[in-house]
Amino acid sequence: MWNTISTSLPQILEAGFKYTIPLALISFFIGLALALVTALIRLSATKGINIVIKLFFRFYVWLFRSTPLLVQLFIVYFGLPYLKIKGLTPEGIKLDPFMAGVLTFSLNTGAYASETIRAAIESVPSGQWEAAASIGMTRTQTLKRIILPQALRVSVPPLANSFISLVKDTSLAASITIVEMFEVSQQIAAENYEPLLMYSLVAVVYAIFCTILSWLQGKLEKKLNASHVKRGSESR
Amino acid sequence: MKLEQVNKTFGSHQVLKNISLDFPRGKVTVLVGPSGSGKSTILRSLNILEKPETGTYDFDDLQIDFSKEISKNDLFYIRQKTGMVFQSYNLFPHFTVLENIIEGPIQVLKKKRPFAIKQAKELLIKVGLSDKANAYPEQLSGGQAQRVAIARSLAMNPEYILLDEPTSALDPELELEVLKVLLQIAKEQQSMVIVTHNLAFAKRVADKIIFVEEGNIIYDGSVENFFDPDTRNARISQFISSMTFEN
Repeated sequence: MWNTISTSLPQILEAGFKYTIPLALISFFIGLALALVTALIRLSATKGINIVIKLFFRFYVWLFRSTPLLVQLFIVYFGLPYLKIKGLTPEGIKLDPFMAGVLTFSLNTGAYASETIRAAIESVPSGQWEAAASIGMTRTQTLKRIILPQALRVSVPPLANSFISLVKDTSLAASITIVEMFEVSQQIAAENYEPLLMYSLVAVVYAIFCTILSWLQGKLEKKLNASHVKRGSESR
Repeated sequence: MKLEQVNKTFGSHQVLKNISLDFPRGKVTVLVGPSGSGKSTILRSLNILEKPETGTYDFDDLQIDFSKEISKNDLFYIRQKTGMVFQSYNLFPHFTVLENIIEGPIQVLKKKRPFAIKQAKELLIKVGLSDKANAYPEQLSGGQAQRVAIARSLAMNPEYILLDEPTSALDPELELEVLKVLLQIAKEQQSMVIVTHNLAFAKRVADKIIFVEEGNIIYDGSVENFFDPDTRNARISQFISSMTFEN
């Protein structure tokens, strides 16, 4: 058994570092940027052209939260090549597997995380907006200097949750021919007829990755909580 | 600084009924009245945190017509000339005391950091908190937090400081330390408008008293007449006796 593990583990880890981690990291950061934009648009004033833009982003969030991730991956990778629009995409949209993966995971993460960020921004007391306004700060300055830093602190735990989910969800990319960790473990199992061992092994590797992430999350929370040190003997 | 014929409604409730008031420079104007009388709304209108539906607001040569859209420049001008101190302090919790004070001067007034820090340290001495520069708001008592908020508004060098019930969230002994700071600032001819429930403090600090009830101005005049049992009207006597032990 140890022999099997020692020959297959390096292959699984290689796939992890080559595909699983880059796929998760890139998608998460694109998703996060998309989520911030979406949240800010959804919180902006409802007037003029903004109404149409807001509706579009609401539709986007609804669409990606209401359909299975696996189906989204299939549509982007297997479906889009058949989206032949005359004059625009006569050949259909053909993406290489990794690109299709990044696109789908980013859009999916963006939809979920936008709700997290929106709630976090709304959780900052209105007195903070007023205090910033009363010293003459603009809306942009207030967001950047006062609101988002406080929103970030409360959104770290749920965003870390999204990231951990995303790391595990990248296993779905096996179905669109990305040779990530799960795909590699399937291939090895097909050769050595040790499915229990191979799938358990890849499960352990996922668990180790996610444990490291949880630990990093704790560190980040501690750092952001520096201003919320416990009060000493002084009373309020 | 003056308001003329100002009206404000929240839903179907009219909170300010065609009021006109002026706030003399270099003096302390105190707004008193029962809860929900509209006195805080008046104060917040002076900083344009509330926008009344109609009426005008004069500040030096600038006139703002509340029935029209207020330009960003005018808003910025008013916000810079008036500093606000809130009942619940509203300090920025992720900044230290010093950072709270220098934020406006650096971000809004575009002052150099060393200058802003020097000024902030002087203000902290003034409010008696020079040892708290690096503390975070959560580590402060309510009285200390409110004194930082006062320093933060003074750092913007406003012509008027507007204080919205600055001590009503505080225990009596903490209230006193804040009131002492305000009395000292008043002595320096700082123009102030204060909304308060503390009539003893109002009597001590005010140059002028305005009594507001149900969105109407019932009294607008000197402190002496307001508290004089012989000249004041029955409603004011009733209000004063409900707030103090005076019969």
